[in-house]
Amino acid sequence: MAHWLQILVLGLLLGGVYAMMASGLTLLFGVMRVVNLAHAAFILIASYMTYALFEGLTLDPMISLFVTMPLMFGLGVGLYLLLFPRLEESPRYVEMTVLLTFGLALIVEGLLTFTFTGTFRSVRPEYASTSIMIGDLFVPTSQLYASLISFALLILLWVFLRFTKTGTAIRATMQNRAAAQIVGVNVRRISALSFGLGMSLAGAAGSLLSFMFPFFPARHWQWIALLLALIVLGGMGSIKGAVIGALLLAVASAFVTDLVGPTWSPITFYLTLFLILMVRPQGLFGAKVRL
Amino acid sequence: MAVVEEREGLLGESPFRKPGTRSRRVTLIVALGLVLFFPLIAIPLFDSYAYVLQVGMLMLMWIAMSSSWNIIGGFAGYISLGHGVFFAIGGYAAGLALAHWGISPFLFLPFAGLAAMAVGFLAGLITLRTRGPAFIVATIAMLFLFLLWFDNWEFIGASSGLDLPFLQFPVQWLKVPFYYAMALCAIGAVYLAYRVAHSKFGLGLRAISQDETKAEVAGINTRWYKVWAFALSAFFIGVAGAIYGYSLTHLRPLTFFAIAVAARMVLMAIIGGRGTVAGPVVGAILIIGVNEFAVRQFGESELNIVFTGLILVLALLFFPQGIVGSLRKSGRLPAFLDWD
Repeated sequence: MAHWLQILVLGLLLGGVYAMMASGLTLLFGVMRVVNLAHAAFILIASYMTYALFEGLTLDPMISLFVTMPLMFGLGVGLYLLLFPRLEESPRYVEMTVLLTFGLALIVEGLLTFTFTGTFRSVRPEYASTSIMIGDLFVPTSQLYASLISFALLILLWVFLRFTKTGTAIRATMQNRAAAQIVGVNVRRISALSFGLGMSLAGAAGSLLSFMFPFFPARHWQWIALLLALIVLGGMGSIKGAVIGALLLAVASAFVTDLVGPTWSPITFYLTLFLILMVRPQGLFGAKVRL
Repeated sequence: MAVVEEREGLLGESPFRKPGTRSRRVTLIVALGLVLFFPLIAIPLFDSYAYVLQVGMLMLMWIAMSSSWNIIGGFAGYISLGHGVFFAIGGYAAGLALAHWGISPFLFLPFAGLAAMAVGFLAGLITLRTRGPAFIVATIAMLFLFLLWFDNWEFIGASSGLDLPFLQFPVQWLKVPFYYAMALCAIGAVYLAYRVAHSKFGLGLRAISQDETKAEVAGINTRWYKVWAFALSAFFIGVAGAIYGYSLTHLRPLTFFAIAVAARMVLMAIIGGRGTVAGPVVGAILIIGVNEFAVRQFGESELNIVFTGLILVLALLFFPQGIVGSLRKSGRLPAFLDWD
């Protein structure tokens, strides 16, 4: 019993980080109908930034959040304004965004490999290799910290979307873009802002992942498949759904790892992604958005 | 077509004749001649004979792959990023036949293609329940599922791979049989694309890519059209995988499943012109040509993948119809490229 509880706790801790990664991706889809295949590649950019800051200035990865988040925000706003308004007239807009962000992912992967080579990297602050015992439960310190920060950022995001005027405008755009425009929301500004917001969440995720897992440039394909599984399960465009999906799948994959072995744990995500798309393309919690 | 040509003989310029028939026929003969006699022409021209034939083989391989992908991705408008799976099925089917039963992959080619087609049929039945972006994501998931399976399947050597015996052939001419096998594959793939484009089936696929609901109302069995298009698009990719795998003599899952492989087929078809017969051919020649030039000038580097991505992004933003498509739209498409 204690064994199962242990796996559940580890799964939930990981799920917290997944939830934050996925909420950024689902926000982009919700506001702009962009399926961002480069999201995980952008997360890796932040991981490498954190790595450079740690190696160069011995900056704690948790503090480098304050660097990566604003930088990624700026990158996001810039990329949005540069690339996406041009696609808006395309009759197959969503498909175009998939191909476009696929291209972006290739560019980022190549540039990262060119700059940092293809070898495994990891950021090793002191707490990366320690753990604490809560009763009988074994909790790695790094995962605990990462999970707490993730939940804190998710709560901030919720407060922002729920209680500020800009947040309300973002939610309105998610619900109905045309109607939001009619009541005076500057949809393009809101889109750029949301893209920045999603990217800054990717930045935070990159900093946190950097001390949880070793990473290399081509790693982002595994991450993006995982993230897509989470947000498709949660219903694309639904942040609440993404969080629930993340917690569910993280726990499920922790159990698969325990029962079958770590090589097969990614199958939880790929298979879920595949099956959900077949059975219910709109996801479990999402509104009926034509994907 | 035959009737029109007869008339032409009797009456000279026929009002029914599609302009440029002669220039298309000349192009076809020149292109076929060039492909078939290239290994002979190349002997006196190039010092690095093996390298030149290798590039020729790669060019033919990508022509076959992007032309095949075009059947589902271009004609039917269903963008698949999972076609690396069929490349792998072909490669491994032929590789296993050689390693376990000693059957030469060259004899096994049709069966490698059929194996890929069978998997394509089944995969199509499942993935084509979705459409648009959901389909793209589903094909990526399919690619990763197969990769995970192949990576852990001991019978085929898992992630460390499967070694194949070398082809017994004079080393100096070793590339020649691979070149001709690939030439056959490319000619077959382009011919298939041409036949599909000029059939009722192809017309149905175009209708699906325009508006699937209307196509269905018009009486097209959209489900079977799509599934067959998906299966047909797998055949020559499987054949290409079998030849390519044998030429490497060592099969590793990542060689076939790398997302860059799937990306390239898509890129070539988009650059050349999605949904046209000549587009993928033009795209493949252009991309492989530029790539080989870059590798020779600057060496093999990670920047190649950056260029692949950059070209894809720029093409989507400024050139979404590709070379052949844009030229046609502006009415400047030379007749020898107009195969639709």
